[in-house]
Amino acid sequence: MSAKVHLHLTLRQHTNSQEVVEAEGATVGECLKDIIKRFPGLESALFDKRGKLNNIVEIYLNLQSAYPDELAKRVKDGDEIHVTLMLAGG
Amino acid sequence: MLSDQELTRYDRQIMIPGIGKEGQEKLKSAKVFVAGAGGLGSPVSIYLAAAGVGSLRIVDHDRVELSNLNRQVLHWEEDLQKEKVLSAQDKLRKLNRHVDVETMNKTITEENIQDLLKGCHAIVDAMDNLPTRYILNKAALDKGIPFFHGAVRAFEGRMMTVAPGDSACLRCLYHGPVAQEKFPVIGVTPAVVGCIQATEVIKYLVGIGELLLNRLLIYDGLSMKFTEFKVKKNPKCDHCGEKRERIIS
Repeated sequence: MSAKVHLHLTLRQHTNSQEVVEAEGATVGECLKDIIKRFPGLESALFDKRGKLNNIVEIYLNLQSAYPDELAKRVKDGDEIHVTLMLAGG
Repeated sequence: MLSDQELTRYDRQIMIPGIGKEGQEKLKSAKVFVAGAGGLGSPVSIYLAAAGVGSLRIVDHDRVELSNLNRQVLHWEEDLQKEKVLSAQDKLRKLNRHVDVETMNKTITEENIQDLLKGCHAIVDAMDNLPTRYILNKAALDKGIPFFHGAVRAFEGRMMTVAPGDSACLRCLYHGPVAQEKFPVIGVTPAVVGCIQATEVIKYLVGIGELLLNRLLIYDGLSMKFTEFKVKKNPKCDHCGEKRERIIS
C-alpha cells in the first residue's frame, strides 16, 4: 500500500524540508517505519526509546484522528496520513 | 433589557440574521470565564467585551513583563509589573463600560476551580500550559458547560470546542504528559486563534451556527492554511469516557 505522509513543520528538518513524503506499508506504523528508513532523523522525533509514539505526536488518517492504537490502523492505497504535534502555548 | 445606547452600540451585529435583539440580550446576560489574560486571553476578552458579553471573569496569576508585549495586546508599556488581570480590566472597562469585568489574581488548581467557575456559563481556555487546560476541561465536563480550547506555537494554532456529553473533549486526545517549554510565538497567531475562540463563544451564547465540535481546526500561518481534523470521543477517556481508565499525568 502506498500512502502520503504529511509532516508537521518542525519534522521537516529531517526530510530535507519535504512536507509530503510517499510511504509504503499496510499500517500507519509500517508507513512511519518506511519513511524513517529514508529519513532516520525522524525516529527520535516520533518515537521514544521503547518504540512508543512520543506524547506530543498526533496522527490523523484521512483527516480523522487515528488515536488510540494509531500505529495499528490499516492503510489503503492513496490514504493520507498527517503527523502533527500537540501545542500548549497561549 | 437593552438600553437605547446599547441598541445603537450593537446595531451592526443586531442586524445579523440569527442575532437580533434577542441574541444581543443573550450575550448581555452571559458570564464567561476567561482562563488567562495573555496572548489568547487578550483577543478573546477584547472581542467578547466589544460584542457585549455582559460579564467576563478573568483569572491569571502573572504580572506584565516586557517580553509579553509582542502578543498580549491588552497590556501596554505603562502596565509593566502590574497584575495582568488589573491591566486587562482597565482596558476592557475603557472599551465597553456596559461589560462587568471581574478579575481574580489566582493560580487555577483542581482544588479551587469549582469556586472560580461559580455562576459562569462557558470557559475559554487561554492558558499557556497543558496541565491547567486539563483542569479546565474536567471542570467544564463536571459542570456541564462548554469549553473553548485554543493553543498556539510560533505561527501555528489549534482550536476545538467541547460540549459536555455531546462531543470529544480535550482529554480524548491525551497521550500522556508533555514537557513544558518556553514556546516561541508571534502576536498575530494568538490574535487569529483567540478571535476564532471568541467567535465560537458568541455563536454558542446566541445559539447560531455550527460549533467546532468533534473537529480540531489547525491554523498554519506560514502556509496560510486551515486544516480540519475529525476527532471522536475516546470511550476510555479518563475525563469523559464510559470506560474511564486512570491516566497518570
